Amino acid sequence: MTTIAEISITPAGAILKGRLISTADITGLYREFAGDYPKFFKMDSLCKLGFVAAEILLKDISAEEKENAAIILFNRNASLFTDRNYQATIRDNNYFPSPALFVYTLANIVTGEIAIRHKIYGETSFYVVDSPDTPLMEEIAAGAFLTSSPSFILTGWLDYDDDHHYEAKLKLVRK
Amino acid sequence: MGERIFVTGCGIISALGVGADATLRALLSCESGIGPLRHLATTHDEFPVGEVELSNSEMAGMLSVSYPEEGLRTVLLGIIAAREAVGHAGLTDVDIQNAAFINGTTVGGMDKTERHFKSVFDSETHSPDCVELKYNDCGYAGDLIADNIGRFTMVTTTSTACSSAANAIIMGANMIKAGLVDIVVAGGAEALTRFHLNGFNSLMILDRESCRPFDRDRAGINLGEGAAYIVIESERSARARGVDILAELSGYANTCDAFHQTASSENGEGPYLAMRKAMDMGRLTPADIDYINAHGTGTPNNDATELAAMHRIWDYALPEFSSTKSFTGHTTSASGAIESVVCLLAMREGFMPCNLGLRNPLHPEAKPVDTSIGHDGAAVEIRHVVNNSFGFGGNDSTLIFSRYSPAN
Amino acid sequence: MENLILQLKNQIIEALNLEDMTAADIDDNEALFGDGIGLDSIDALELIVLLEREYGIKLANPAEGKEIFKSVASIADYISRNRKK
Repeated sequence: MTTIAEISITPAGAILKGRLISTADITGLYREFAGDYPKFFKMDSLCKLGFVAAEILLKDISAEEKENAAIILFNRNASLFTDRNYQATIRDNNYFPSPALFVYTLANIVTGEIAIRHKIYGETSFYVVDSPDTPLMEEIAAGAFLTSSPSFILTGWLDYDDDHHYEAKLKLVRK
Repeated sequence: MGERIFVTGCGIISALGVGADATLRALLSCESGIGPLRHLATTHDEFPVGEVELSNSEMAGMLSVSYPEEGLRTVLLGIIAAREAVGHAGLTDVDIQNAAFINGTTVGGMDKTERHFKSVFDSETHSPDCVELKYNDCGYAGDLIADNIGRFTMVTTTSTACSSAANAIIMGANMIKAGLVDIVVAGGAEALTRFHLNGFNSLMILDRESCRPFDRDRAGINLGEGAAYIVIESERSARARGVDILAELSGYANTCDAFHQTASSENGEGPYLAMRKAMDMGRLTPADIDYINAHGTGTPNNDATELAAMHRIWDYALPEFSSTKSFTGHTTSASGAIESVVCLLAMREGFMPCNLGLRNPLHPEAKPVDTSIGHDGAAVEIRHVVNNSFGFGGNDSTLIFSRYSPAN
Repeated sequence: MENLILQLKNQIIEALNLEDMTAADIDDNEALFGDGIGLDSIDALELIVLLEREYGIKLANPAEGKEIFKSVASIADYISRNRKK
C-alpha cells in the first residue's frame, strides 16, 4: 500500500503531511477548511473530528475516484463521549431521550457522515481496538484491497475521549 | 476470486430457543418468539420484544460461569452460541489456538453499566461499583466470550450497528483470503438494554404490536436479542480436518448508502450495491438466487428501500424472500449472524421460512413467503441465498451462502 | 403570538444546533423541511421532543408532525391551541 496523504489532528492543531497547518480547534478547522456544511454543527464530536480530517485529506480527490473508495476507521473509545451525553438525557425520572444524540451513540456513524459528504459508496467499517496497533490496522486495510478493490481507502485512528483528549490520525492509501 | 470460504459450524440462541434444533422447530412451525417483556427492567412494557427466555442466572448455571460473566447478558448469550458453533465444527483446542474470533456487538456490557451507573453517578465519593463500568467496553464482551471458548490467536470486535455481525463474518473471510488464518469463528451477540430500547423509541420506530415486515401498514421494529456464530475456514483446512461442509460463503460485500445517518435512501443505492457486488464476487447472476433473507426490520423506511433495491436487480420477478425478524425481533448487532444461521438451516433442510404478520403486501408482485415453503416433507432445493444486513450509518452488507459442491 | 414565535425560533435554533443562524434569519412562514431551512427526519423527532418538554404536547405518531412542522408559524399555531404548559 502507498500512502498518498496523512493528517493528524489533536487539541494542539492539525498536521498535514508533516507540516503544521493550523492550531485551531475542531470547529475552527471546519471554518478554515470547509464552512459550507451546516449539518456539521448537528454532528457529535467524533463525527466532527472525522469530518474535518476527511475534508482536508479529500480536498483534491475527484468525485469519480471518491465514489468507489472505502472508509475503514479504528479507535478505542467507540462513541463513549456521546454515550455519556445521551445517558444524561435519560437519567432523570422525567426524561426526554434525545433522538439526535442517540443517532450518534454508534461509532460507525462517522463513516456514514464522511460518505454522505463525499458521496463514497464503497466499504465502510469501524473497528474498536485497544491501541493504534499499526500492523493490525494495516492488515485490515490490505484485506479490503484484496476483495472489494476500492480506488483508495481513507483509514486510520479516530478517537474522541473528551474535549481535551482527541486524536485523528488518518491517511489515504492506494493499493 | 481467490480462496474458497467454507462454513463448517454454526451456533445460535434467540427468542426462538437455545440451539439450531430449537430454532429450526420454531421456524418450521411458524411460531414467533416475540412476546411481552420479562427480563429487562424498563417502564416501556408496551413494546413486544424477542427476548431470550432464559434469565442471566439460568444461563450462568447452564454454562457454569460466575462473576463477571453471570452479570453480562451479551456475554452469556455469546458463550452459549459460540460453544455450539465450535462443537458443531469439531474444533479442537489446537484448532482454536490457530483461529480468530470476531464478535459483532454494539451493546456490549451496557446492561451491566445500566445497573451500576446510577450508584456511581450519585455517589459523592468513589463508588466500589466503578469497577463494573469497565465491562461497558464492547471489546470486553468479545474477549470474555473468546476466553471461555479457548485460546484464540486473535480476538477482535466489529461495531457497525445492525450490520456488525455480517461485517464480522466479512472480516473473517477477508482474513482467510489474505492467508492470515485458516479458521475464524465469527458472528455477534447482543442483549436488550434500556439504552437502545429508549433510543429506538426516541426515533419512533418501535411497533406496539407484533412487527409486520413488508406489510403495507407496517409500523416499525420489535427489538430482539440473541447471539449466533458461524465457523468459516479455508478449503485446505476443512479438507485437512475432514469435516462436513455446510455451505460455501461464495460472495459478500459491504457498501455505503451515503444518504443519511439513520434513514435509508429511496432508490436503495447502498443495498443495491451490496447485493450486486456480492453476486459479482460469487460470479452469480440474479437468476441464481433462490431465497433472500431480507434485513426487513418492519419500519416503513427500511422495507421500502430494500424492496426498491431488489426491484432494481430482479425487476418484478423477485426470488422468494422473507424477514425472519418477525420470529426473532430485530436482534440488532447479532442479526447478521442469527439470520446467517437461519439461511444455513433453510438450505440444509430445503425450506424457506415465512414472513409472519403479513396482511397486505406492498405490491402484488412483492409478496414475501407467507407460509413456509418446503416443509411437510416437500423440500425445495435452495442453491444460493442472499442474507442482507443494514446498519445505521448507511452501512449495508450482503452475504451469499451457496450449497456446497466440491468443484467450483 | 409574536412572543411565542420568537421564543420558538430560539428554542428550535438551540435544540437543532442551527449554529450560524439567528431568530431573524428564520422567516415565520418559511418551509422548515426540504428546500427551506433544510431540516431532516431526526430534526423532526427533536421537534417532537421539544413540544413535549416545553409545552406538554405529546405526538404519538411522527406522521402527525408533517403538517404541524411546516413552518414556525404553523408550529406556534398548533402550540397555542394545544399547549398544556
